[in-house]
Amino acid sequence: MDRVLGLFRRQRQNTNVLRLRRRKNAANFVYRHLSKITTALLAVGYLWMALIPILPLSQLVYIDENALQPAQVNTNWNWQDVHQADLYLLQLEGLRDRNATSEQRASFIRDEFAKLGLPAATQRYTFVTSSGNVSGVNAYAIMNSPRTSGSEAIVVSASWLSELGEKPYNLRGVATVLALAGFLKNYSLWAKDIIFVIGDNYFDGTYAWLNAYHGTIPHNLDTDLLELTSGVIWNALNIDYSGHSFSHLGVFFEGLNGRLPNQDLINSLRLISHYTGNVPLVLYDHLEQHDAPQSSLLANTPEFMKRSPQLREFEYRTRNVKKHVSYQARGRPSGPHGLFHQFRIDAITLYAVPANGPHGFFALGRIMESALRTSNNLLERLHASFFFYILTTPGTFMKIGTFLPSAVLVGVAMIFWGLGQWVAAGWVQEFPAELQLQDKEDDSKAVNVATTTVPTVQSIWRPRRRPVLPAIVAILATHTVGLLAFATINTSWFLRNQPLSSLILFLALDFVSLALLAFISSHPHPPETAPLSMLLQSFNLCLASTVISITSLLNFSLAATLAVTLGIPLLCSRGSPSTSLVSQPSWSVVYSVLAWGWLFLSQEVETAVWNWEVLGVWFAPFVCIVYAPLVMQASLVSRSLFL
Amino acid sequence: MDSSSFLPVLVSFRLLLAFIPLHSISGLQHDHQLSSPLTSYARLKEGLWLYGHDIDPYAGGIFRHSPLFLSIFSTVLPPLPIVWALSDIVGAWALLRIWRARQRVGKGSSGRDGLVAAVSLLNPYLFLPSLALSTSTFENTAVLLALMFASEGKPSGALLALAFSTHLSISTFLLLLPVLMLLVTSPVSQLASPQEFRGDLRTACKYAGQFAMYWLVLFGAASVMIGGEWGWLRETWGASLTLPDLTPNPGLWWYFFTEMFDHFRPFFLMVFSVHLAIYVLPICIKFQHDALYASFLLVGILGSFKAYLTLADPGLFLSMFVLFPEVYPYLRHPIVTTLVHIHAALLLPLFHALWVTEGRGNANFYFAASLVMGAAGGMGMVDACFAGLRIAFGDVAEGERDKWAVVQE
Repeated sequence: MDRVLGLFRRQRQNTNVLRLRRRKNAANFVYRHLSKITTALLAVGYLWMALIPILPLSQLVYIDENALQPAQVNTNWNWQDVHQADLYLLQLEGLRDRNATSEQRASFIRDEFAKLGLPAATQRYTFVTSSGNVSGVNAYAIMNSPRTSGSEAIVVSASWLSELGEKPYNLRGVATVLALAGFLKNYSLWAKDIIFVIGDNYFDGTYAWLNAYHGTIPHNLDTDLLELTSGVIWNALNIDYSGHSFSHLGVFFEGLNGRLPNQDLINSLRLISHYTGNVPLVLYDHLEQHDAPQSSLLANTPEFMKRSPQLREFEYRTRNVKKHVSYQARGRPSGPHGLFHQFRIDAITLYAVPANGPHGFFALGRIMESALRTSNNLLERLHASFFFYILTTPGTFMKIGTFLPSAVLVGVAMIFWGLGQWVAAGWVQEFPAELQLQDKEDDSKAVNVATTTVPTVQSIWRPRRRPVLPAIVAILATHTVGLLAFATINTSWFLRNQPLSSLILFLALDFVSLALLAFISSHPHPPETAPLSMLLQSFNLCLASTVISITSLLNFSLAATLAVTLGIPLLCSRGSPSTSLVSQPSWSVVYSVLAWGWLFLSQEVETAVWNWEVLGVWFAPFVCIVYAPLVMQASLVSRSLFL
Repeated sequence: MDSSSFLPVLVSFRLLLAFIPLHSISGLQHDHQLSSPLTSYARLKEGLWLYGHDIDPYAGGIFRHSPLFLSIFSTVLPPLPIVWALSDIVGAWALLRIWRARQRVGKGSSGRDGLVAAVSLLNPYLFLPSLALSTSTFENTAVLLALMFASEGKPSGALLALAFSTHLSISTFLLLLPVLMLLVTSPVSQLASPQEFRGDLRTACKYAGQFAMYWLVLFGAASVMIGGEWGWLRETWGASLTLPDLTPNPGLWWYFFTEMFDHFRPFFLMVFSVHLAIYVLPICIKFQHDALYASFLLVGILGSFKAYLTLADPGLFLSMFVLFPEVYPYLRHPIVTTLVHIHAALLLPLFHALWVTEGRGNANFYFAASLVMGAAGGMGMVDACFAGLRIAFGDVAEGERDKWAVVQE
């Protein structure tokens, strides 16, 4: 019996030892091949990102919410309503030609709404920004639902200006809204209130109206609460029809801070546009390749590549994704619809892509009528379909699982390398006297090569202390510098003296970075402790990885951009044994430019600051307080190697 | 650098914040991370109003604060932000005194005084709930005061503070055993040289009796104050055990019981409650040589697994880490734990906003974030436990390193 028990006991001990050994071997394996693993993760991540537009990663769109029933109604919008819209257009053109003030325009629109028998009002507003005040007057009308108490509402909106097309005035869009108001009033089937909003200017009018409607007036907005209100807004359709006629309808959907509307809305519009209006729906103003080739990527390639349908398809998808990323990463809305999203309203802009024909008010009116009927069918907010997606074409999209891992993989590579540096910082390799020729730097680098801890290696590994406090102070200092830089950029002085002030700020920031470096290196550095640059790089990589993986869900485009701009520069800030190139002093200039070089893009800076002050887009503070300091830390790391 | 010169700066900074009416602070009061139904300021005011108008505040299922809060805030003090600031400062002071008692510094100042106070006053997990006027600030201060008096060998103060603490939040009852052990032993670190418990058991029993007495007096006072009704028992302490309000919080209970079928509820409530209690004995036995460390670990358990968790609970655990610098070199993976904490701290508010404000996500998002938070809390605890035991083995000699390893099984 004892022998049997003993057998068991010994076996258990053995399994424990085995497990320990296995664990240790696995850790050793990972650590030994860390640079390979990191490179592989990085490569897979970037490759995945590059392949996002390819066909196999996308899937066909579908309607998830059964209540929507898109394109299932007979529409009643007719030529007589088109004529009405034309009459409105004539008067609006008169207003435009007379250079009417915001006040005059808004009161004209309000009066027209009132003539239709709708309760209508105007709203004045002023935004105070560091680049001057922005003010205007909005007009809006509410059509009470004949069937219900009006606890829910749909918004049909148009802004006075258009930034999408070539013509600056969205006159036909406004005329469509007015004519629709007169037309929709004649039907008793509406189960939701319909609110017609004509926002002044482009973004700010609609934004002021929305804030006043929801009672969330920011401190820099001077306006009154609205005279007329309705219920909870569920959906909003914004019309941008600035050209003369259109051939396609373009859909714009990106909202503030990268928020997207529920995909069901876009898919419904696609079906309605196809089947009710006989108008093809496209993304943005990108016509499909077979309609009108607008080649950009393939312009300078051989003929056979230009003709390859696969490549052309890829190019078309790439253009769509690029446009999406350029809106989403910067957090800017792609149209006035984007302002609705933060109030939990699913909204899109329908853009009439300018052309010589064949479509006009007739098609747009029918599509709008049908789309409103579809929205009218809803019994609950849109929730079934996707909120996180990339539309590669109007008919195909990517689920989050097919694009999110690309950015996360880059983040994982960074965190692996950061943790590797942390481990490496904890050990120092000592050689017997005759071998002690190598300098200290090589010591720390050589750590990557050998932790096999086989006694045949003649060196001895000794643990050393890792003083984290200076590294943390350096990190906090860079982020504080970023905060101060952001405060400077937000001043009207900076925006007025743009090129000069950018230069001053850039040099000042570079100087601060050097001063910071001097301050850090002035601390006594006992020989038994890890070099600061190692710890700083480790923390820097871990932080950057955290930022990338967390933003990847909220705003994938931003995370992917960060993964591209931060990934390799941060990983290489200490140089690696194979690339001595990086350890040139000139490289620190590269880091400065990467961190703060954007200061010289004056137009971009001005827009970003305006977007932050008026619309509350987080992009400007994010770049100043999170992104640039991370690169600054990398520059500290690379510079501290020369001390 | 004499770090104790920070102290007045920190204290005045905290006091100043109580007087500045910051625009963003009012938004914090409704944040689910910072205050739970048991600690929310809005509910406290509601209860005080009802109480002032002679309506039983415990009747409506809204008010779940202890009657002691009712009596204090309706008579002695008005619920002004300055009270929270003072409570924060008292908490920091208590932490400092614990530190000094552990290091046997006495009246003079140790080199790390400023750091200890800063870790308590600037810890965002403690600081933000205090700005949100969550009553968890007072619960934490009571715990720290109990530990402070116990470390200084003042039984009456320690037991009274602990009795208060259990009245404010029933789960701190788990700290009774380590506090009693601390009273009859010394707070000085024994981690490196573990030995058998040498406190006087008879004295400990006497102290337990004393605690029971204080507790009963407070209990009687609370019952008298509320007018002899017993409804408050179910609403305050009962809420921690039966979870009637499923408002989301960073803890692990709410989602689980949202999804639970009703007929399994009592069983799993029992499991979750007992789960908290089962750690007391093992930890107190294993760390019988250092009762302060045992109470630190139990604070960590409460800070990850208790019902109606708010960020103030893990915050107390993280701040108490500063008391034990001797274990830092033996922490197994401090940087990984820190990173998980950073992830959790960022994910919680973001996923909360995605679900509640923006409507893009759903409850699963927030639950996932609270799981990350639970993992971070658990990793911190396991790490602290490991380091507290590992330190006894000391450093491994140079030649021995490859021959044996210390693991936690």
